[in-house]
Amino acid sequence: MEQEYYVCTGCALLCDDIEIEVTDNKLSKVNNACLKGVARLKECAKPAECKVDGSNVNIDDAIKEASSILKNAPNPLIFGMGNSTTGAQKKAIELAKRTNAYIDDTSSFCQGPVIEAILGDRIRTCTLDEVKDYADVIVYWGADPSNSHPRHLSKYTYFPRGKERQRGWEEDRTAICIDVRKSDTAIICGDKFYQIPPQADEELIDALVSALSGKVPKVSFGMGPKKILELANLLKKAKFGVVCVGLGLIYSLSDIEPLVKLMNKLNDVSNFHLIPMVGQFNMRGFDHNLHEETGYINRARFQESGVEHGPQCSIVELLRTKNVDAALVIGSDPMSSLPGSIAKELLDIPVITIDPCMTMTSKKAKVAIASVTSGAECGGTAIRMDGVEVEFKPMIPTDSLSDEEILSRIMEAL
Amino acid sequence: MTNALEIYQLLPKTNCKQCGKATCMAFGAALLSREVTIDDCPPLKEDKFRENYEKLSQMITPSGEASESGMIVHTEKCIGCGNCVVACPVNVAEDPYGAGSGKAPTNENVILRVEDGVVRLSNVNQCRRFGKNKIMCNGCIVTCPTKAIEFV
Amino acid sequence: MGFGQFLAAPEYDLKIITYRDIFQNTALESSRGGEEYLNRSAVIKIDVNDMKKMGFKEKSNVILKNSFARVVVSVQLSEYEEAHEGIAYMTNSPWSNALVSADDGTGVPKFKMITATISDAKDEKITTYDI
Repeated sequence: MEQEYYVCTGCALLCDDIEIEVTDNKLSKVNNACLKGVARLKECAKPAECKVDGSNVNIDDAIKEASSILKNAPNPLIFGMGNSTTGAQKKAIELAKRTNAYIDDTSSFCQGPVIEAILGDRIRTCTLDEVKDYADVIVYWGADPSNSHPRHLSKYTYFPRGKERQRGWEEDRTAICIDVRKSDTAIICGDKFYQIPPQADEELIDALVSALSGKVPKVSFGMGPKKILELANLLKKAKFGVVCVGLGLIYSLSDIEPLVKLMNKLNDVSNFHLIPMVGQFNMRGFDHNLHEETGYINRARFQESGVEHGPQCSIVELLRTKNVDAALVIGSDPMSSLPGSIAKELLDIPVITIDPCMTMTSKKAKVAIASVTSGAECGGTAIRMDGVEVEFKPMIPTDSLSDEEILSRIMEAL
Repeated sequence: MTNALEIYQLLPKTNCKQCGKATCMAFGAALLSREVTIDDCPPLKEDKFRENYEKLSQMITPSGEASESGMIVHTEKCIGCGNCVVACPVNVAEDPYGAGSGKAPTNENVILRVEDGVVRLSNVNQCRRFGKNKIMCNGCIVTCPTKAIEFV
Repeated sequence: MGFGQFLAAPEYDLKIITYRDIFQNTALESSRGGEEYLNRSAVIKIDVNDMKKMGFKEKSNVILKNSFARVVVSVQLSEYEEAHEGIAYMTNSPWSNALVSADDGTGVPKFKMITATISDAKDEKITTYDI
């Protein structure tokens, strides 16, 4: 019998070779996925319940209350969607239009600038399948996939055999890690780990650009010109290079320009691509969908007069300046992931959550709506971190509603 | 899981060399890799070691394939990244287009695979570290980010 | 009763870098709010020399304080081999997020650049969140 494979929605690597065992309509075993993927796909320890003001209600009442909050709020915010299917994301965008809402996602404070530069053709990218078949130099910069995307190295970048990479990782590929700390990934990279002080990324970029231009590179921290030239030479000699960019790099740059400059320089002297290490399984999908609709990937507001965009429309600024009066949070937990000083503003406005699990946000929410885990209990499509669309089917049956169905019902009730 | 030290604790510790090894520790290691058998140690058959002999028989015979090549997986450290699954030369040879190409293993001949988020061993007699003519392969150790695999 | 209790515990400046830890992340998915998540989150890891200089005991409680918050977490030795005095590590969690600044108008919090002081928490218990 042909083995049936499923897709893991544990992160934006969307591993498509998952085998499952089902007992009593529950996942009893999830094979080939990493620890993190297994934990996400299996049932939550505390599944969400439908609640209004802390009391259990049926889903119809929760949906009714949610739509009435959105209808009555002059400045609502819709946030999250990184753990939702493309279908649900499109519904959320439609709902934002209907309610003249602000709409933002986690890319607003993580990979947004990189995805924007890729969609705007300012940075050259490639697919992970190409990396597997051709890449000989792989750079992880400010990223620790061993903890964030455990199968990144084994499934695509470093260890697998690919078309032009048949001799194995020891001979065929070089993995480099640039980071402020010796992460688990840095350990695998061995002597190709380049440690830099916090906030020194831009300085190293400048030094690398100098080195790649044939000048003597200099930095103010303890990395000598020889070490930097050695790194520059590894990059220069690459036949097919890829820089996998993590939050460590993004957070230390005030804007994306130094990275654009480095990638341009690398492509003058070599052949380089960039892949953002996207976290939630379909965050990139949301950015694509909103971009298609508005030309912006995040931080947008729908109004009669058109679409407003900018930092003032970001979740952090909206909460900080108290410019929203209701929030619909889908598959995200801003109460735990935002800075405390920003998250506390959520306590002052009516919040609606749609999530399969109980979260810090859903516990404080005025309305909590229980949904299903996308990928486990409902199918759909999503965009992998490298921009490739992946279709997936559900693993187990459910009676509960998906994010998409819940959003449709909220819209019907408006 | 068994390690050489546990075995050593049960040996006579006299370094009598009757087994042909220089020390009891060396004999213990050889026992672990199945190079020798318990009966190759004459003093162990003496009455005063009977209890130890029985304990060793339980440790060394079929119990846990895992120990046969001396490989120990610390499952509490394993993150299920599958680096070892893809890097293992036996996996690559047995399943070049599955495990060797970064995908789910496609046959039963592989020796490492990830089940429910952690690595699981099978067919360990195929491991290059197994048996008499073993090779000190370390493909699964050096690729493990959390030091979850070790050989004893 | 020691004289020490009338003195404020000395405070030391630290830069805190946040990082991802798969076991902490897995605990979030599988036992949100559980003890394991707390044990893996409400922790600051500091350099061995800092530990000596500051006089903390492994796994004792410390106060982390800046203008945004004051949290009590457990202090542990970093497993890190090379010295990193003055720099400490915390996983992403409500405990580290409490200390993150987000007031520069960019909409991007400074998740990986936290400055705070650290001092002995004496008998104070670890800060809890309703997770």
